[in-house]
Amino acid sequence: MVIFISVALRTVRQPTRAHADMALFFGATAFVIIIARLAAFLGPTPAWLTPILVAVLMALPYILLRLVDDFTHVRSAIKRAAELGLVAGIVATYATAPELPAPVTLYLVVYFFGVSTYCAVAFIRSGRHARGVTRRRMEAISLGSILLGTDILISGLTPLARPDDRPVLQALGQLLGLGSGIAYFLGFAPPAILRRAWQEPELRAFLARAASLPRLPTTLDIVRELEQGAANSTGTTARIGLWQEDISKLRFWEDDDSTVEIEAGMHFAGRAFELQRPVFSSDPIRDNPDGAASYRSHNVGAVLATPITAGERRLGVLTLTATRPPIFAMSDIELAGLLADQAAVILESRALIDHAARVRAREEATRLKEDFLSAAAHDLKTPLTTVVAQAEFLERSATREPSAPADIAGIRRVVRESKRLAGLVGDLLDATRLEQGKLVGEREAVDLATLAQEVCAHDTSGQGICQVNASAPVVGVYDRRRVEQLLQNLVENAKKYSPERTPIRIKVWQQDGEARVAVQDFGIGIPAADLPRIFERFSRASNVDDRRFHGMGLGLFICRGIVEEHGGRIWVESEIGKGSTFHVALPLADGRRLN
Amino acid sequence: MKDLWAGGPPRGKEPPAAGAARPYTRGEGNNDTVLVVDDDTSILDTVTAILSGEGYEVVSAASGQEALAAVARKQPVVILLDMRMPVMDGWAVARALRQQGMSVPIVVMTAAESAKRWADEVGAEGYLAKPFGLDDLLAAVERFRTRGRPN
Repeated sequence: MVIFISVALRTVRQPTRAHADMALFFGATAFVIIIARLAAFLGPTPAWLTPILVAVLMALPYILLRLVDDFTHVRSAIKRAAELGLVAGIVATYATAPELPAPVTLYLVVYFFGVSTYCAVAFIRSGRHARGVTRRRMEAISLGSILLGTDILISGLTPLARPDDRPVLQALGQLLGLGSGIAYFLGFAPPAILRRAWQEPELRAFLARAASLPRLPTTLDIVRELEQGAANSTGTTARIGLWQEDISKLRFWEDDDSTVEIEAGMHFAGRAFELQRPVFSSDPIRDNPDGAASYRSHNVGAVLATPITAGERRLGVLTLTATRPPIFAMSDIELAGLLADQAAVILESRALIDHAARVRAREEATRLKEDFLSAAAHDLKTPLTTVVAQAEFLERSATREPSAPADIAGIRRVVRESKRLAGLVGDLLDATRLEQGKLVGEREAVDLATLAQEVCAHDTSGQGICQVNASAPVVGVYDRRRVEQLLQNLVENAKKYSPERTPIRIKVWQQDGEARVAVQDFGIGIPAADLPRIFERFSRASNVDDRRFHGMGLGLFICRGIVEEHGGRIWVESEIGKGSTFHVALPLADGRRLN
Repeated sequence: MKDLWAGGPPRGKEPPAAGAARPYTRGEGNNDTVLVVDDDTSILDTVTAILSGEGYEVVSAASGQEALAAVARKQPVVILLDMRMPVMDGWAVARALRQQGMSVPIVVMTAAESAKRWADEVGAEGYLAKPFGLDDLLAAVERFRTRGRPN
C-alpha cells in the first residue's frame, strides 16, 4: 500500500508511461492483498469477486511485462502472446466460475509463472547493461519477479498437494510473497541510504581516476576522461560542454574532435547552464523541437543536462543521453549532480594548473630572452672589440708612418674576427628563422655523397684529415645551401673538439629507405649527462673550455632545425676521450618528385 | 739612456695622476708595465699590439691564474681585467689580489651592460665597455703612466 501510494503520487507529478505502469502494478498488487486480507477476516469471498480477483492477479505479470518494455524493448510477438494468454485466462475463469477446474488453475499458474520468469530474465539482462544504482535496482526487481512467480506457482499447486503438506507450502508461499514484496520495494522505491550505498562503488571508481585527471596534457583529454567516467557510472552516453568566455558559448567536442557550440538557453545543455539546475526530459523531441533531427539520428530518447559549477564560476554542462527514458530518473539526476560537482573540481584545478603553467612559461620565456640577449651581446661584442680597436690602430699607424711595412698580424686579426662576427650574426639569424620554422628554402635534387666530398675538400687545413666514405650517390630533395651548412657545421664541430691532425670521417649511405650521413671524430667526446640537451639552444657540453672553443651554442641547434625541417632525424653517439659520431637520417628522393 | 726621458725627472716621484681616485702601491722601480687579462686571444693580441706601440711594456695573461702569476713576477701600474672568464673570473682575480695585500689599480673590460656596477664591485679605477675604440683604450691607461712617453 505504501509503495502504491508513493508510486501513485509520483505518477501524478511526473506522468510518464513507466510511472503509470508502476502505479498500476502496485495498485493491482495492493488490491489483491487487501481482498485476500478481507477474505481472511470476513470469510470466503463472494462468488462474483473471484473472477475479478483472478483477472487482476492474472494482469500482474502482464503489467510487469509492460514495465520490462519501459526499460528495454520487448518483441511485439511476445507482448501479443502475453495479451492473448491473459484474455484466454480471464475468459476461462469467467466461463468456469466459481469452481475453477484443475486444468484452468494449472493454466493460470503456468501462465503467471512463465510471464514473470520471462520478466525476471529480461530485467537481469537489461540490468547487465545498466550501471550503478539502476543496475542494483534492476537486480532487486528481477529477484522480486522470480520470487513472485515461484510464489504463484506454489500457491497454485498447493490445492493439488497432499493435505499434510499444504500448511508447509502455504507458509512457503507467504514467505516468498513477503520476499518478493521486499525486493520490489527495494527495486522500485529504495530508501535514500540504500541508493547512496549503491552509488558508492561507481563514484569511488570515478574518484580514484579523478585524482590524476588534472595532470593530463590537455583540457580535452580531461573532458574525454570525465565523459568516459560519467558514461561508465550512469550507463548512458555522456558529453561535457565547457563555457567559452570569449565567445559566450558552450563548446562540446564530437568523437572526431570537431566542436559544436551552443548558446546559453539553447537546447537542454544551454537551459541547464542558464538556469543553473538540472534539466531532464523523457521526450526530448517534444520538449526541444529544434534538436529533433539530431535526437532522431542519434536515437536519443532521454536527456539529462546538469550544470558544472565551481562556487560562483560556471564552467559548463554535463549532458547524459540515453535511448530510453531512465525509469529511475531521480537517482540518475542525483548521480549526475555528484559527477558534475566532481567534474567542476577537476576542471577548476586544471584551470589553476594551466594558469600556473602560463605564468611559469612567461617567466621562462623572459629568462630565455634575457639569456639570449646577454649571450648574444657578449658573443658579438667580443670579436667586435678586436675589429674596432685593431682597425683604428692600423689606420693610425698607416697615417703616421705611410712607408712602414704593413702590420700583417694586425690585419689578419681583423679579418679573422670579422669572419667570426659574420658567422655569429648568421647563426643568430638562422636561430631566429628556425623559431619561425622558415630555415629551409627552395629544394632541389642533391647528392649527399658529392656534397660531402665538396665540404671535405673545402677543409682549409689541407692536412687531408677529412675523409669521405661513399660508394654510391645518395640523392634526396633538399635545400642545398642548408644541407651544406649542416655538413659544414658537423665537420667544423668535429675538428673543433678533436686534437689537431686526427681524422674526421664522413660516411654517406642508404639504409632502410633513408639517406644516412655519419660524421665521426676522435676528439674529447661529450659527457653522457650533456647528450640529451646537446641539440638545444645555447647548450654546450660541460667539458667544453670556453677559452679554446668559441661559439654561442647555436650550431647544433641549427643543425637539428635543418634536419627536422627536412623531415629527418639527428642524433649522437659519444664516449668521453674517444670521440663522437653525429648521425643524420634524411628522406630519400621520391622518384616522381625528382622527375 | 738619460736623454731618452727628455720630459724631466721621472714622474714616479710625483703624487699620483689626478684621475687616480685612491693611492696605490707603486711597482718596484719605475716601469710602465700594463697587465692585460682576457680569455679571448684576439683581444689580448690587439691590446698588446696597441699598447706596445704606445711605449708600454705589456704583459698578457689568458686566464685569472696567469694574471696572478704575472703580478707576482712583476707588479704592473694597471691591470686591464676581463670579467667573464672560465674557471677564475675577474672577481676572483680582484679578490685574490686584495687578499695578498696588493692594491694594483684595475680597469675592468667587459661586454656586459653592467660594466660600471661590476667595476664598483671589484673596487676598480675605471672600466672599458667592449667594444672599445683605440682612444678609449689609450685614455684608460694613460692616467696610470708613470714615465714620459718615449720619443
